[in-house]
Amino acid sequence: MDMQLKRGLLDVCVLAAIQHEDSYGYQIIKDMHPFVEISESTLYPILRRLEAAHLLDVYTREYNGRLRKYYHITEAGQARLATFAEEWREIISIYQFVTRGGSAQ
Amino acid sequence: MTKMQFMAELAARLSRLPREDVERSMEYYGEMIDDRMEEGLSEAEAVVAMGDMDEIVKNVIGETPLVRLVVEKIKPKRALRAFEIVLLVLGSPIWLAVAISLLAVFFSVYVTLWSVLIGCYASVVGGLFGGVVGGLGAAVLFMIKGSGVSVLLMLGGALCCFGIFAPLFPCLNRLVVLTVRWSKCFLHFVKSLFVGGGEQA
Repeated sequence: MDMQLKRGLLDVCVLAAIQHEDSYGYQIIKDMHPFVEISESTLYPILRRLEAAHLLDVYTREYNGRLRKYYHITEAGQARLATFAEEWREIISIYQFVTRGGSAQ
Repeated sequence: MTKMQFMAELAARLSRLPREDVERSMEYYGEMIDDRMEEGLSEAEAVVAMGDMDEIVKNVIGETPLVRLVVEKIKPKRALRAFEIVLLVLGSPIWLAVAISLLAVFFSVYVTLWSVLIGCYASVVGGLFGGVVGGLGAAVLFMIKGSGVSVLLMLGGALCCFGIFAPLFPCLNRLVVLTVRWSKCFLHFVKSLFVGGGEQA
């Protein structure tokens, strides 16, 4: 897959992982695992990018005697997800058209 | 490798980065290792699960803007002594001028690259319109005058121009894509110059 495309898609995936509920790094990787494999080193720049773009917020909570960073999706992040869904609805219907063979030759 | 060894190596490799960035990435990877160990992995397995150290370092640097790397590099790590400050100020006509001219060189190379591309586009568009439209226009004029051979000549010329210039468009588009990609690689290369040698630090 085109690297640029994949990067953009992974950004949205991470947002989707936290869209209903705040989550933390490793949990995000586990949630995404059945659908797409992502490594810790790939996730790190994505989280930094999303934070810089104000699509998510970061806060720290104590857990089992250590500190853990949690990620919370912002309004802007939710809007980004909605835009993505809208764009891909159209792509999916095009895909369905293409793979059904379209009109008879 | 133990967690401590991993964290130490990571800190060493990132030592040229601003402290904030180093701390943030250390916290992140420390947390990831702890989470994996909680899942039942041994310390060594958890460290291995983090992946290749080069990959990790590359990803952290990639996210740090070049400007921050440069600033971090030239920031004095200890208080400057009086004579050092004097030297810096006295020498500023030299190092300032050198720095500005270096920047100017990079900038002009970059601008030239893009100007050449834009120039190519301009010539292709010019050739296309000039040749095709001109040829067609001339053909019409000759048709009015009634000299059939000239009409054919002009039409042929228009077709030739189209054949020559139209295929150049996708070539130029590809060149633009490649140039953008090279710029990114070059940027990463420059960044690595500022961060490289972390192990020697």
